[in-house]
Amino acid sequence: MHELSVCQALLRQVAEIADARGAHIVERITIEVGPLCGLEPELLAGAFAVARAGGCAAGAALDIESTPLIISCLSCGARSEAKPNRLICSACGGFRARIVAGDELRLRRVELTMPQPEAVPAP
Amino acid sequence: MCQTCGCSVTPGNDTSKVVVDVLQDLLSANNEVAAHNREHFDAHGVLVINLMSSPGAGKTALLEATIVALRDRYRIAVIEGDLQTDNDAARIRAHGVPAIQITTGTACHLDAHLVHRALHDLPLAGLDLLFIENVGNLVCPASFDLGQHRNVTLLSVTEGDDKPAKYPVIFLASDLVVLSKTDLLEVLTDFDPERAAGHLRALGRETPMIQTAARRAPALGPWLNWLEQQLGAWRPVAQAPQSMIAARAGA
Repeated sequence: MHELSVCQALLRQVAEIADARGAHIVERITIEVGPLCGLEPELLAGAFAVARAGGCAAGAALDIESTPLIISCLSCGARSEAKPNRLICSACGGFRARIVAGDELRLRRVELTMPQPEAVPAP
Repeated sequence: MCQTCGCSVTPGNDTSKVVVDVLQDLLSANNEVAAHNREHFDAHGVLVINLMSSPGAGKTALLEATIVALRDRYRIAVIEGDLQTDNDAARIRAHGVPAIQITTGTACHLDAHLVHRALHDLPLAGLDLLFIENVGNLVCPASFDLGQHRNVTLLSVTEGDDKPAKYPVIFLASDLVVLSKTDLLEVLTDFDPERAAGHLRALGRETPMIQTAARRAPALGPWLNWLEQQLGAWRPVAQAPQSMIAARAGA
């Protein structure tokens, strides 16, 4: 149930990025969520709908890209896809593995609407 | 979107959109404070252990027994995370050890900011060992680096022996798994320590698992040995291998 605090951290990062570029409106936010990051994408989406209110991302869409869980076997070196509670090499059955991908919880991309230049009044 | 007919372009304001690629960890603000906490701990030569478990697994009881066993040789302090009460901090203080209470309200985990605030009330000078007793929860604490050097997760034999399979993230983040209340194994025959160890091994790490019974002094041996090893291994080299959470934060 820490999805809300993660969303608040996400929105602070997004607001900093928008501020730095002089944008007032955030259109879309893309994040990468791995199966081992400790967060549920659905709960994250629900928390985002609450947390975004009132800020520059109040109307922003949230795209959640689920990343695969990939391990690298420390015995035979093979890379394979794994389940979160079974990080065992599919090639040799080795019990020692390094997580290559799947524990990420990352802000990937932000789409901003830039303010329109003020129209030059006709002479 | 097709590049031919222009259907991907919002009419009229195509120059007003900017796409920024970021690739930043969502917990980077927490991780920065955690790194700062760790610098404080390292500067004072304090080994910091983050103790996690589900509610009621016996974290406080293990700490009480540990304090009684080690307080003559090491200076120990405890940061207690709790939703509502300071009962656990009171139990620790009763053993003559400083305990700082962090009351999280409804928050289900400690984070690096909360720990940093607690450090203002806790002089680190002269300490050897600082335990952080996290909020009882097997989900949320796993995601937040606090600045600790080691993560220890308790699994009591009154729970299911498949907890490592159900909560892989927290067990993956653990440097040690402590089976607690093992004096109850003779009546709780559903719990098979071998099965628990199998589920832990399936996580692809060689995380050690030891057994304790905090209410029986002789049953604390493996735990106290592990602690002494960590104190010995950690002291001469300030940058000993860090726990998974810390390693991720630094990546």
